[in-house]
Amino acid sequence: MVPSQYYLVLSAAVFCIGLFGILTRRNALVFLMSVELMLNAANINLVAFSVQNGNLTGQVFSLFTIATAAAEVAVGIGIILVLYRNFNDVDVTTATTMRW
Amino acid sequence: MVGAFEFAPAIAALPFVSFLVALFVGRFMPKKGALAGITATGGSLLLSLWVYLAVLTSGDPHVEIVHTLIGVTDPFSLELGILIDQLSALMLLIVSLISFLVFVFSLGYMNDEGETGLPRYYAGLSLFSFSMLAFVMASNLFMAFMFFELVGLCSYLLIGFWFRADAPPSAAKKAFLVTRFGDYFFLIGVVGVLGTFGTAAFAGDGSFPVLAEQALAGEAAGINTFGFDPQTWFTILGLLVLGGVMGKSAQFPLHTWLPDAMEGPTPVSALIHAATMVAAGVYLVARMYGFYALSPTALAIIAFVGGFTALFAATMGVVKREIKQVLAYSTISQYGYMMLALGVGGYVAGVFHLTTHAMFKALLFLGAGAVIVAMHHNEDMWKMGGLKERLPVTYYTFLAGSLALAGIIPFAGFWSKDEVLFEALLRGMDNPIFLVAYAMGLIGVFFTGLYTFRMVFLTFHGEPRTTIAEDPHHFGWNMKFPMVVLGVLATVVGLINMTPVAELTGAHIEFLHIWFEHGGETLTVEHYGALLEQWAGYGAVDASTALVLGSGAVSLLLALAGAGAAHVLYNVPDPDEHTDKLGSIKTVLFNNYYQDEYQVWLAEGLTANVARGADTFDQGIIDGAVNGVSSVSLFLGDRARRLQTGVVTNYAALLTLGLVVLLVAVGILGGWFV
Repeated sequence: MVPSQYYLVLSAAVFCIGLFGILTRRNALVFLMSVELMLNAANINLVAFSVQNGNLTGQVFSLFTIATAAAEVAVGIGIILVLYRNFNDVDVTTATTMRW
Repeated sequence: MVGAFEFAPAIAALPFVSFLVALFVGRFMPKKGALAGITATGGSLLLSLWVYLAVLTSGDPHVEIVHTLIGVTDPFSLELGILIDQLSALMLLIVSLISFLVFVFSLGYMNDEGETGLPRYYAGLSLFSFSMLAFVMASNLFMAFMFFELVGLCSYLLIGFWFRADAPPSAAKKAFLVTRFGDYFFLIGVVGVLGTFGTAAFAGDGSFPVLAEQALAGEAAGINTFGFDPQTWFTILGLLVLGGVMGKSAQFPLHTWLPDAMEGPTPVSALIHAATMVAAGVYLVARMYGFYALSPTALAIIAFVGGFTALFAATMGVVKREIKQVLAYSTISQYGYMMLALGVGGYVAGVFHLTTHAMFKALLFLGAGAVIVAMHHNEDMWKMGGLKERLPVTYYTFLAGSLALAGIIPFAGFWSKDEVLFEALLRGMDNPIFLVAYAMGLIGVFFTGLYTFRMVFLTFHGEPRTTIAEDPHHFGWNMKFPMVVLGVLATVVGLINMTPVAELTGAHIEFLHIWFEHGGETLTVEHYGALLEQWAGYGAVDASTALVLGSGAVSLLLALAGAGAAHVLYNVPDPDEHTDKLGSIKTVLFNNYYQDEYQVWLAEGLTANVARGADTFDQGIIDGAVNGVSSVSLFLGDRARRLQTGVVTNYAALLTLGLVVLLVAVGILGGWFV
């Protein structure tokens, strides 16, 4: 059996990739994908600990997270559509009109 | 007792109704509200008479709480109540009588002269009567203060009646402000009395004069004297209330408003001087005499202010050219005599002079009003002369009033002024310092005789000095009737208290003394006498018959001397202005001892500068601090909002940075890196 630490390192790596995507990219669609990566990093953690502890709670919880992520993507894509309609672009740095 | 007292509130309520009627429907009525006023004050007069008779038969004071404003008993409750005793019953009678006659007179003075704005005039007059009657009936100091202020407001409205001219609004403002200056102290006094005693009631076991007496005797607990000795504190309270009295009763140095108040219509002057506004001050001292009697300092101040004012105002009256100005200064002077009487312990004498003065001063003002109408609103006495043959009714009634004012036997003023001076003399024999006040009052008698008869001779005697005076305007019964009524009263009202005659014959005809010996046990003149003796050190002085008669003779002789001087100087066919002989004194007298000037200087030179400094402090320091705080936060907010870039990436970066910092901090503190 693979030790839990490897899963955690994998999870941290996936999370950092997602974070890197959010911090460096300007395309809103890439943002969504990066957020998806970060969520799944969390799921990996949940499943890893579930296996280590020998009960199913973490796995069940990760199912909920996946469902939530699906809903979030639906909302996120809706926002991106509106963004595109208003700014003719999906660049997040152009949509700054709601600030002071 | 069922009967008169049940109707007591109506004495004040009737004029209030006529105020509403005159104000709202007066312009549709045939006499523009005059009839409503006459009916109402006539009704008040009848009711007052009934109440007076009820007090006469029962003798007990009637105290009743009509309405409670704030009903909590701790720390105190504020009530509107009625106190009918010997003093207020007498005063109600005077006030309603004068008001009634003034209303009748106004028919001739205002309606027949075709004045406009009459509903406003009659509404003001009605409200004036209402305020004064309610003030007289007030059962506590708080209610008295309320109506005291209302009286001041009405005087403002009426003095400024002809508001389109320049002088009346300015005079009204001055009257309002000067009396307000005094009332300011009165207000503090009322608060002080409530704070000290927890009650402001005038009469009864729990009233503040009684509590004060008990506190001095060391019997009362729970009297908060704010760390002062009780006697000192009661003196302070008494003097604070006295501030309002001096403003309203035009005592030096707050007398300056009264001569200017002559700008109002003459019937208003009659009402102000005889029965309402100016009388309110002296009445208040008499009302709470049980309190003043506890403080020798306050009494001495009252006596000296009164004595000084009596002399001071009389000297100014001697040089005035306008008939109403002479009367104005005589009013100030006469109220000085009342204060003198109250200050030297002559409670009955003071109230007696208040009564007789109300009659003869109302008479003189109505007479002056009649002369002014006859002279086509010319008030300068040097333009009159010889009106005696042309206006006989006015002349004889005016003469009766003048004889009373000058204090010539047997007219009303003689008896009362003689008693005032006699009381002052008695006090002076006990404590020589009061002889000074007595002397001032005595010299004032000479000047009173002089200016009174100068006025009479210049107005009515000699040859007419202008064409108007040769053919004066005639007026109807509605002006003659009040003058005749008051003329009779001014002649005979002194007979209610002929002390010298009583002393000489041994007959008990001092009806006013007897009147005030009855009533509630803390409101009688004996009680006041006992208080004066115990707390103020006013010991009883044995008055020999010779002293009584001597005092009367001296004041009568001085009055006759003054009248005689006037006769020599002015009772000639074509009198000269003798005032030039006075040289520089004339200038001082014409300028009223520069009282206005120094008060204006105090206002403009001193108070205005202090106010300006305070304004600078307020604008610069107080507002500056507040404004500074707001500009600093505005500036900081403007800088801080730059953090909000609107770029999601930046927010995410900040979040991440925060998380990292948190992690590092927790790590260092948790010792992960060791």
